[in-house]
Amino acid sequence: VGERWDRARVLALAPDASSLKAARPLVSGRSWPVTGATDGSADGSALWGECQGSAAAPYRTAVDLSGPAYRCSCPSLKFPCKHALALMLLWSDGGVQANGDAPGWASTWLATRAAKASETKDPKPPADPAAAQRRAEQREARVATGLTELDRWLCDQVRQGLAASQRSGYRHWDDIAARMVDAQASGLAERLRALAAVPYSGAGWDGRLLEEYALLRLLATACRDQAALPPPLRDTVRSRVGFTVRQADVLAGAAPVRDHWHVLARRDLDQDRIRTRRAWLRGRRTGRTALVLSFAAIGESLDGSLAVGTETDAELAFYPAAVPLRALVATRHDTVPSGPPSGATITELLAEYAAALGQDPWLEVWPAVLDVTPARAPVPGLHDAAGDAVPLHPGAGDCWPLFALSGGHPLTVAGEWTPRGLWPLTAWDEGGMVVPL
Amino acid sequence: MSEPEGRGAAWTEERRRSDEGRQHLKGAQEASGGTLSTWHDLVTASLIGTERAVVPAVAIPGLPPAEDDTGDPAAVLLDRAALLTAARRAGRRPDRAEPLPVCDPDPRPAVSPAAADRLARILGGEYPELLTEWLTELVARDLRLPPQFLPVLLDGASRGRSKDSAFPHLVAEAGGSRARWLMELNPNWESVLPETLTGDEAWRLGTTSQRRAYLAALRSRDPGAARELIAGSWAAAGPEERVMFVKVMARGLGPADEPLLETALHDGTAWVRAMAADVLAALPESALSRQMTERAVQWLRIRHDKHGPYLAVVAPDDARLLIQAVGLTPLRTWTDAFGLTAAQIVALRSGDWAAVLFTAWVRAAIAQRDGEWTAALIGQALVARLPAAAIQTLGQLVRQADPALGAPDTLPEPGPDTPSAVGAALRVLRFRYEMLKELDGDHDG
Repeated sequence: VGERWDRARVLALAPDASSLKAARPLVSGRSWPVTGATDGSADGSALWGECQGSAAAPYRTAVDLSGPAYRCSCPSLKFPCKHALALMLLWSDGGVQANGDAPGWASTWLATRAAKASETKDPKPPADPAAAQRRAEQREARVATGLTELDRWLCDQVRQGLAASQRSGYRHWDDIAARMVDAQASGLAERLRALAAVPYSGAGWDGRLLEEYALLRLLATACRDQAALPPPLRDTVRSRVGFTVRQADVLAGAAPVRDHWHVLARRDLDQDRIRTRRAWLRGRRTGRTALVLSFAAIGESLDGSLAVGTETDAELAFYPAAVPLRALVATRHDTVPSGPPSGATITELLAEYAAALGQDPWLEVWPAVLDVTPARAPVPGLHDAAGDAVPLHPGAGDCWPLFALSGGHPLTVAGEWTPRGLWPLTAWDEGGMVVPL
Repeated sequence: MSEPEGRGAAWTEERRRSDEGRQHLKGAQEASGGTLSTWHDLVTASLIGTERAVVPAVAIPGLPPAEDDTGDPAAVLLDRAALLTAARRAGRRPDRAEPLPVCDPDPRPAVSPAAADRLARILGGEYPELLTEWLTELVARDLRLPPQFLPVLLDGASRGRSKDSAFPHLVAEAGGSRARWLMELNPNWESVLPETLTGDEAWRLGTTSQRRAYLAALRSRDPGAARELIAGSWAAAGPEERVMFVKVMARGLGPADEPLLETALHDGTAWVRAMAADVLAALPESALSRQMTERAVQWLRIRHDKHGPYLAVVAPDDARLLIQAVGLTPLRTWTDAFGLTAAQIVALRSGDWAAVLFTAWVRAAIAQRDGEWTAALIGQALVARLPAAAIQTLGQLVRQADPALGAPDTLPEPGPDTPSAVGAALRVLRFRYEMLKELDGDHDG
């Protein structure tokens, strides 16, 4: 077995508090007459066990730690179920010994998983290249029609005046968003759906709505004229419109970047029955910033492998873009705890963001690591040693834990810089301990 | 709660910035001689709609002026807005902020990361009833509370959600200078510690928790003086305060406390009487204790049959009387009288009385804080098939027992047949043991 995970890393996988509560009584060798784990690298490790529950036959639980992925014979709809959680907690406590060969029921599943994993890494060529080409052309045509329709809709809004939008309700944006889904432009649809909240976002909503409409038209125009764009910007435009790049193509693209990646911050968002986790990484050697996304259905646990405050020696494959931020973890080696990162000044952050906007004007979330002191007036914000300040994002609330942690002294804060302010996510206390906010 | 205010301020801020922008652009306008406008004008035109409003021209300082677009005015407006949006975002200047006062340093050492994680677990809902103990032990060790937890603790203390009137005082003490600093920043927390009263002012003018803190300090310094203060205040005190008085007397208990506790034993409120009885029972020489002991030893005898010794109970039909008498009898009485260890006594057969005796002994072990009996009773619960009602009493026992009993290999491990309530009780002990071990562990200065 590779490095045993600490308790916190296991706990982070629990789908909800009640699963965790149900798992706790099972974290004892007595509940698990049979347990085992594979030897081998951290990537290939797996756990299995038989849990003596209320039923006559024991539940058979297996965990593929490289996912992590879970399988259990219990009827629970939760992932991971209490048995899988308990097994991992037991392992984390040192209660599961490596003993090589998995029993038949576990090894079959693990082998299937391994086969599937290598399949995604090594995709078969499409069965019929001509048909695939035809499908791709149809999609381009559908998106182009959608873009024309969106452009007309946007101009209509501005012609009639945005004042009406405040009274129009969610349907107004849902309808045009649905038409973009039909046009297979999911990126545009997502942006449009988010607009329904803007008229209720407080003073300045009209300006924010105009910004969004303006950037949407810019995106539609850029996509229509994409042939004239330099390739990296074209990739950015296409991905923002909704053309996805297959993971295999990302991995096969530019050479992966190996570095010690420090996980600076993590933010989970729930939207449309999908949970998205954004993990912000910074390479120690290259100084590069990366964004690793993971997704799960509501109620399922998100990928807990990139824990804030740890440093992972890994190779990252970046998605092609004008400002390459999003990345995939191609190969993972060791993970070790890490201290506080070095923070920038506010002037440096704003300059960095300005430079990035020059490459990608739609960039609305930018990773920030600042050495700052929190302030409360005129609005909750952060100021640096030079006296420069930025506000906290109004949606982030009062963020009292950040103030409590600081006590009026400077600290290192990591978060997401947005046009509305900084959304703080992580802070390091005076002793260098990482504190998720 | 301050959200609307915050938005108001943000709005003012935005206006200020936009006005600054206007000044800035005006300068550029004079330089270039073209027609210029600002973001604000674009927003106004977009609100009205280009059917009725003229599209304002836009120029970005440092960029050549946009050519006059002759297309659809709505499209022209959106294109200009896109340009200005990118320019405003990229050209954003830092704000200014009012620095906060700096918090006084807290010289107490920080707790270990493991201890901070434990507090996060308790606050996250795992054994929330152990929060008071965690904080009390932190204060006793003179350690610093990880400050990021203060907001949630101050919320709990100020809304009076805790039934324990001493909780706000405990939070303020654990939080030290950082808690006072936060209270000054957030008016919602001011009520946690209204003012620091010193000396006998705290006694005369303070809240219940301040009076309790004053009295407890006096009791540890001079038990007699505390007793006299209580005696003098007894008549005017309400039932809640009388319970507090009796609780304070449990520490530093001596024979001289007996008369006052006897008075409490005849109090009009059952709650006060029960508390006084528990405290008196811990005083082996007290009349109550002697009386109960006399009764109990009459009722419980060791007998022998062909299977060996057993406990014969010759008691009145009312089990409550037996529970009361055995519960208030010093536990040493039994080990002395029977010449057996606590573990041997609780394992004796007692027929139908087993559950009643178990409950009574648990009650005695709680009141007398007896580690040997606590261990014996938990050990017995692991092997004996006791009714659920008797096992329930373990819940309180393990929350008050010496946490050292939770150390690995101190108590037998639960088996597959162990009732889940016993397993749960053992996990509480383990949790408390680990909690204290972490607080005792290495801490950095």
